[in-house]
Amino acid sequence: MKLLRTLVLGALGLVLPLSAHADTIKIGLMCPLTGGWASEGLDMKQIVGLLTDEVNKAGGINGKQLELIVEDDGGDPRTAALAAQKLAIAGVSAVIGTYGSAVTEAAQNILDESEILHIATGATSVRLTSKGMEYFFRTSPRDDEQGRVAAQYIKNLGYRKIAIVHDNSSYSKGLAEETRAVLEEEGVPVVFFDALTPKERDYSPILTKLRSAEPDLFFYPGYYPEAGLLLRQKKEMGWDVPMMGGDSVNNADLVQIAGLSSCEGFLFFSPPVPADLVTEKGKAFIAAYTKAYNSLPNSVWALLAGDAFNVLVEALRHTDGSSEAMAKYLKTELKDYTGITGTFSFSATGDRVGDLYQLYTVSPEGKFVVKR
Amino acid sequence: MSPGIFAPFRHAAVPLRRRRLREAGFVIIPAERPEEIPAIPQTCAKTARKNLPDAIMDQFLQQLVNGLAIGGIYALVALGYTMVYGVLKLINFAHGDLFTIGAYLGMTLFVSMGLAGKVPAWAAVALVAVMVMGLVALLGWLLERAAYRPLRSAGRLSAVVSALGASIFFQNAVMLIWGAKYYVYPEAMRPDAILHLFGMGIPVIRIVIIAASVLLMLALYWFINRTRMGTAIRAAAIDQGAARLMGINVDRIIALVFLIGPGLGGVAGVMVGLTYGQISFDMGFSYGLKAFTAAILGGIGNIPGAMLGGMLLGLIETLGAAYLTMAWKDALSFLVLILILIIRPTGILGERVAEKL
Amino acid sequence: MRLSLTNKGTGAKAGAGLHLSPALRIPAVLLVVALIAALPRVMNLYWIDVFVSIGLGVMLSLSLNVILGQTGIFNMGHAAFYAVGAYVTAILNTRFGIPVLWLLPVAGACAALFALVVARPIIHLRGDYLLVVTIGIVEIVRIALTNDPGGLTGGANGIFGIARPEIFGMKIRKGIDFYYLIWGGVGVTALLFWQLHNSRFGRALSCIKEDDIAAEGCGIDVAHYKLMAFVLGAFWAGMTGTLFAAKMTIISPSSFTFWDSVLLFAAVILGGGSLTGVILGAFLVFGLPEIFRDFAQARMLVFGLALMIMMIIRPQGILPPAPRRYDVRAFLASLRSGRQKDAASNAMRTAPDAGPNVKSEGEGGAS
Repeated sequence: MKLLRTLVLGALGLVLPLSAHADTIKIGLMCPLTGGWASEGLDMKQIVGLLTDEVNKAGGINGKQLELIVEDDGGDPRTAALAAQKLAIAGVSAVIGTYGSAVTEAAQNILDESEILHIATGATSVRLTSKGMEYFFRTSPRDDEQGRVAAQYIKNLGYRKIAIVHDNSSYSKGLAEETRAVLEEEGVPVVFFDALTPKERDYSPILTKLRSAEPDLFFYPGYYPEAGLLLRQKKEMGWDVPMMGGDSVNNADLVQIAGLSSCEGFLFFSPPVPADLVTEKGKAFIAAYTKAYNSLPNSVWALLAGDAFNVLVEALRHTDGSSEAMAKYLKTELKDYTGITGTFSFSATGDRVGDLYQLYTVSPEGKFVVKR
Repeated sequence: MSPGIFAPFRHAAVPLRRRRLREAGFVIIPAERPEEIPAIPQTCAKTARKNLPDAIMDQFLQQLVNGLAIGGIYALVALGYTMVYGVLKLINFAHGDLFTIGAYLGMTLFVSMGLAGKVPAWAAVALVAVMVMGLVALLGWLLERAAYRPLRSAGRLSAVVSALGASIFFQNAVMLIWGAKYYVYPEAMRPDAILHLFGMGIPVIRIVIIAASVLLMLALYWFINRTRMGTAIRAAAIDQGAARLMGINVDRIIALVFLIGPGLGGVAGVMVGLTYGQISFDMGFSYGLKAFTAAILGGIGNIPGAMLGGMLLGLIETLGAAYLTMAWKDALSFLVLILILIIRPTGILGERVAEKL
Repeated sequence: MRLSLTNKGTGAKAGAGLHLSPALRIPAVLLVVALIAALPRVMNLYWIDVFVSIGLGVMLSLSLNVILGQTGIFNMGHAAFYAVGAYVTAILNTRFGIPVLWLLPVAGACAALFALVVARPIIHLRGDYLLVVTIGIVEIVRIALTNDPGGLTGGANGIFGIARPEIFGMKIRKGIDFYYLIWGGVGVTALLFWQLHNSRFGRALSCIKEDDIAAEGCGIDVAHYKLMAFVLGAFWAGMTGTLFAAKMTIISPSSFTFWDSVLLFAAVILGGGSLTGVILGAFLVFGLPEIFRDFAQARMLVFGLALMIMMIIRPQGILPPAPRRYDVRAFLASLRSGRQKDAASNAMRTAPDAGPNVKSEGEGGAS
């Protein structure tokens, strides 16, 4: 009973809003700090945290310091809705994040109702920007755009019998279906199309089945843990069909999971890998990040959160900081902004406009190199 | 990659049998000569095109082996589950997370002891497995003392909720200690010999796993049914009060069970690490669920049942994915489970006892 | 004749100290109602949303309590019925524009029908075997929703654009509107389930929980009652699904996983099985992770630890049901006074429960 009383009192204590400093600008970051995608969330937190420190050290924005408030969305929609509400209450000027389309969507409504600028970073589902929400932006590409890019690459490389397997997540399925549609339009037959169950470890039954369809390219638009296992087990069963992935395999751990000999020659298209950023800002940021955390960021998705922060800073600098003014600025005035992951603008719907992709292959040393 | 890192399969054991195996139509490719591997699938593909029924048969055989390998792992995890259940009637939801901890401890021990290259790989693996077994068994024992013993008289569901709490706690503890990223077992620890047989590629480690789960099952079966200690365990499982009257120290028996079950789980974690290389902090959840399902399928509390259930679940999943549906694979295996339970309400080998709710 | 039905295992000893005497019960309930009605005045929007989320959790836990806490059926797949309700609401609302609140009974009925179909063949399974089957059901439902059969469920993305509910022309939109809608729902739920608990039906369920063989012996059609408890719990979960869909306006399979079922299960067991206990249990299970937000990455670790500690401190749950009371003395007195039989049964009826009545109930409900 005593425990209960303490907890109830603790709860009531938290009900009272924390006093706010008027001389800071608050920025919210939603990311998965617990649950299955916690590694992405940690990267996002570190990247945006580092950038915030840099801005603050350089004197802040118009004399005001930035205050970053990070909330855990646990990678699930119900928790995400609560995290968004908590940020809205905290009086943030804008919210960055999060990872996953369904999770982002749960936050989207709440932030839109509170008229808070929202820049998503790992949400590729088409419908997120098709609802006409005034304050919603994203620095990640859309599934349909990626699908076109994937189909183009596959066609240009000259493959004629394609097997596609996705992992039934909204990102992976969207990309797979889009790619199949474009490929079939272009007359490239898709001989196999199905879903696997992510987070398993043994995919040899699926590979055995796939093999009997005799494709000349295996396209897996899913995430790196499964892609690595697929590569390794494909090699173990002595099957040497070329394999291609989307941007969610862009993670240094892929090579470790697959093993050097298994992933040599693996193809994937993606925004520039962290070690290979083309822009000055990107190079400088990677140097600073390595210095601060002694490692490279694991994936490109977390870097997209960095770019979301960068454009937000631009918007705060050039406007009075109201959501309306910032949204207008991002849509009409910010053109060809060069950030960490490339040069881009925002369309009227809030989508990222600007070429993001490159085709990569894995070198015999296990490095991701641009394929010419 | 340095050759000879997993000696038992390559140097010590294999040459003795290599000739005999070759005579029997097997082809063994040592990992240090990987250039030989691609030659086989090509010839296989050619014959496959010529002879369709053979190709279908080959694929079926390969899927059968795949299914048994997956089932072997489920069975390994399920043995520990069923062991604890048999005595305490407690669904130890934390078992899957103890399994995860085993996998992580194995990796950490191997890296931190710097054994690679100094001792033969099989010795290093055996040493690490024994240490992990000991450590996880200790953790299991502690868990029983702290979280289950106070609830022993309180009805089974209270202990189940405590086990759920322990599961959440362990999973997040692993995440906080080791971090949320995926970890990879050191290459030097992983056996990579592949057995080629009628055009199938079977990594030797999978055969080891199937063999290990069968051996452990037999050892446990022997221990439970043929030793004094085992008799005491059976007595405690049937009736704790009566066992106490017979002079059996039930607390000690339960402690013993909580050493054996989690210990087995820890070793299973190391085995999964060795087989697939990749481990993550949340892997215990799905393996735990699958193993629990397997144990129920075979009749929970029954040691050969856990084995049978694991193998069967592996086969259902694999053959379901291969011939019916990949996306609905898990739904299919749960459906089969439900159908089997409707026909045999206490699992395949489970005893029909009147159980009080 | 059995005159006392104390709950085995969930013993009276641990819980008795916490139960209020009947005289204090009504003022206490009124106080809680007033507190809940007044709370939004001191809470910010975030905590209002947390309470809305808890309120949904309370409704679900109460509906699971009928199955798990009162009847003792191990159901670890309750999220399946919740999902059916939410998806029925979402599909009918977004495709045919049927107002959300009209769909409350429809969603409940669909979930109940689903429960009837799936539970019928498995209801005779015992304990843990039933538990794993219900886990199987919730997994099958989740996989089905993710695989998007016939383009109905929208796959992993789920369904979006569910309309806000309207009551008497007033649109429920803000957090505070939902707060009153959902806590109103909680109030109705609690009242109905309290009535149910004290009805013949509720007594039959308690009897089955205590000892289903003895219950069968008393003439209770155990399978029938278990099935009815299942269907009733599912019906209520389906209606809660409607409210959830209306609150979120988007739903996706990730809200209806095995994990969500496990949390509900924990809420009921932690609560102890009594109405108040389960409400408290749901408060802890759905509220603590929010309170622990300050622990950032460690918040679920602390939650797991808290769950263990709470279970160890109160092994029978926070508030196990009070033992049913019977006015034996009045009954015996009426017998002794030599009046005719129906006077005796009158005395029994004034007491909240009676053994003999259960028997006649069972005869009426033969399959």
